[in-house]
Amino acid sequence: MPRLGWLVGRLLQIVPTFLLIGIAVFVLARLLPGDAVSAMLGDRASDATINRLTAELGLNRSLGAQLLAFLTAAAQGDFGASLSRHVPVMRLVAEALPVTLSLVAIATTLALAIALPLAFIAALNANRWPDIAIRAVFQVGLSSPVFYIGLILLTVFAGWLGWFPVGGYGESVSEHLYHLFLPGLTLSLSFAAVVMRNLRAAVLAVLTAEYVDFARAKGLARSVVLLRHVLRNALIATVTLVGLHVGALLGGAVITETVFAVPGVGRLMIDSIFARDYPVIQALTLVLAVLVSLAFLVTDFVQMWLDPRVGR
Amino acid sequence: MTASLTSTRRGLFGLAAGFAALSLADTAQAAPKRGGKLVYGRYADSLFLDPVLNDANVDIWVINSVYDTLLLPTADGLGVQEGLASKWAFSDGGKTLTLTVRSGVKFADGSPLKISDVKWSLDRARDPKAGAWNDMIASIDAVDIAGPDSIVLKLKTPDPTILAALATFNTSIMSQALFEAAPGATPDDKAKAFAEKPIGTGPFMLVEWRRNQVMRLVRNPHYWRMAEDGKPLPYVDELELQIIPDDNTRILKLKAGELHGSEFIPLARVKELQADASLRMELWPSTKVTYLSMMVKPTLTDGKPNPLANQKVRQALNYAVNKDAVIAITTLGLGKPMRSFMSSTTPLFDGPAPLYPYDLAKAKALLAEAGFSGGFEVSCMTVAGNQDNLNNLTTVQQMWAAIGVKLKIEQMDNPSLTKKYRAEDFQMRTAAWTNDISDPGQITSYFAYGPNIHALHSGWDDKRLDEVFLASQQETDPAKRRAQYQEIQKIFADAATIVPLYETPYTVAWRKNVSGFVQIPLGNNYFVGAAIG
Repeated sequence: MPRLGWLVGRLLQIVPTFLLIGIAVFVLARLLPGDAVSAMLGDRASDATINRLTAELGLNRSLGAQLLAFLTAAAQGDFGASLSRHVPVMRLVAEALPVTLSLVAIATTLALAIALPLAFIAALNANRWPDIAIRAVFQVGLSSPVFYIGLILLTVFAGWLGWFPVGGYGESVSEHLYHLFLPGLTLSLSFAAVVMRNLRAAVLAVLTAEYVDFARAKGLARSVVLLRHVLRNALIATVTLVGLHVGALLGGAVITETVFAVPGVGRLMIDSIFARDYPVIQALTLVLAVLVSLAFLVTDFVQMWLDPRVGR
Repeated sequence: MTASLTSTRRGLFGLAAGFAALSLADTAQAAPKRGGKLVYGRYADSLFLDPVLNDANVDIWVINSVYDTLLLPTADGLGVQEGLASKWAFSDGGKTLTLTVRSGVKFADGSPLKISDVKWSLDRARDPKAGAWNDMIASIDAVDIAGPDSIVLKLKTPDPTILAALATFNTSIMSQALFEAAPGATPDDKAKAFAEKPIGTGPFMLVEWRRNQVMRLVRNPHYWRMAEDGKPLPYVDELELQIIPDDNTRILKLKAGELHGSEFIPLARVKELQADASLRMELWPSTKVTYLSMMVKPTLTDGKPNPLANQKVRQALNYAVNKDAVIAITTLGLGKPMRSFMSSTTPLFDGPAPLYPYDLAKAKALLAEAGFSGGFEVSCMTVAGNQDNLNNLTTVQQMWAAIGVKLKIEQMDNPSLTKKYRAEDFQMRTAAWTNDISDPGQITSYFAYGPNIHALHSGWDDKRLDEVFLASQQETDPAKRRAQYQEIQKIFADAATIVPLYETPYTVAWRKNVSGFVQIPLGNNYFVGAAIG
């Protein structure tokens, strides 16, 4: 039962978090210098046109009135219409979100697929050449800008070799996966580097733990020791890291989606910020906040599963 | 204009007399092939495909693929030719314009174009409460139907710009019935719904629009214009506009054969693509001018005196800029110096001599005369991340250092810059302009005519120029209007409220097997004559 109470508590924490995020994003969007109408009409519009559109969009109301209207509508799932595109915001979000979620899922899968075995190899060969080589390669991945890695992968694997399409998203599910492989790989590399270094350190620490010595002393097979005792315990910190990194992956998606012409929320967010399209900025930030909160929640669940002491 | 362009200009206007001179070079070519899907890479998606309510070039430049106007611009951007109207004539001292609308024209859904649609569309476009463009046809007092194929525009005053305005995107002809059948309780709601899947009389109809990804258009089976072979245009069955914001990715996609064409090739990549045997690099003459604008009020918003209020200082800054060097550095030689505030592709452009040729001695003398021989500091705002603008400024910064002027570069995002600009809270800013209409009236009303936006928010106002401009807006004698524009351009050049830098072309690259695309100086893309193979 203590676990159930802990879980309910975690879920309840999300509600005020969203409210605070909603207020914060509303205020922050309006603290940005410049305004939506100027951004929409550019520098040619007359004052009369600016004033008329400002009134039409309800942007001449007091900030308090606008905030109240936003929170009331948002509570009912209505985020209004995009100021620049004139379509419902949630439609834009609904079109872009699955794309970014797929990209992040592919990036996470690739990062783990790359990092987990290599972290083990590095840890088990600590300070010998495989370890040094793996760390050196990942250092490059960690220190290279995402757009640079993306451009190199795009040029080599899509442009020169023709193994992958040059950007875009495709039409069918299989095409989506095909199109998202290179951007997913781009996004995964720096993440894989972080996971690899973290897990390598964790494995090294666990390898010297008394319970591992005890397991070995019991005569358990090396593979059993590694999988059941070392991996499970070393993963606790890595799971936390993966959960925390979801936000960073969503941030990285902004650049990756631009380079690879992927129509996800990252590009939508950038376009909307430049256009001061407040309803889209607000909805996207809230949706991303929900996703990150959910990722944290899932992280807590997995941690609890890996380490039963959590939640007691 | 590059020589390679001559082979691309067959389709769109080949049937029109006004375009005959430009299509002469192509008469010997074989007829273009029909069919296929043309895939074109755009740098940004459209936002709102309503001819009247849109705000941006990403809409304006493709709206003509779906809609037609009564008249069409000629490809050189200097005149108009037949569109949905096959004849037009002025009467009543230029205050009445009668247009004959083609019979038998249908919208893409097969419904007939009615004369009432023409009246409804023009009335909607001139509504002062609708959109940002109604000023362009503000001279219209009434739109009357004079017969089943005849429309009469009653003008408040004679308007020399009215024909150009009837060839401009906001006067596109829409179907009243289809618009009113769109879902929504109010006209605004209907406009939003209709713009999602607009139906016009243009060469294509939009069948799918996945935001930020792709627009798919198919040929309008009822399109009224015929190609030279007597068969209907357009040549291609389908037009796919893919949205690829990154320049490198767009070029890679083009090289890989995933695109037939790509817009906005960075000037730095033009020579590379010109050397690629599988591609054809097109440089379309444009109305784009790049310049630095100044705020010339005597006092800045922080209360400090503004040296730019002195005309001699402004002229000195102009003389101290080596435009050829700027052009070589930023445009890699693809630009050409501005000789007026308007581009050389603008009707009534007058640029008899280079503007402020590079002359450091003269610049220093003028500064000394103005009492600034010791120099001063001036700031210029620019959009962060725009490398061309930054190149311009860092080059100018070094040039002005030679006369003791220290240029401080302030980078910010575009909405912030626009806000400061509109509030006239700046000293200088980087800027570029393209015309929306084939007439000098629009650019002049922004750059030089004080009462509109204080001459680019400079605070400068010249009563004589204002007077000549207002007269020119009603002058129907071409020779007199030309003389008026000569005077306007001379007054403005002497005032030196901008540092004119260069004109640049639109850069479009195509696979070698595609021909017939046209981009007019206003920027509008015409795919109607494009063919593959």
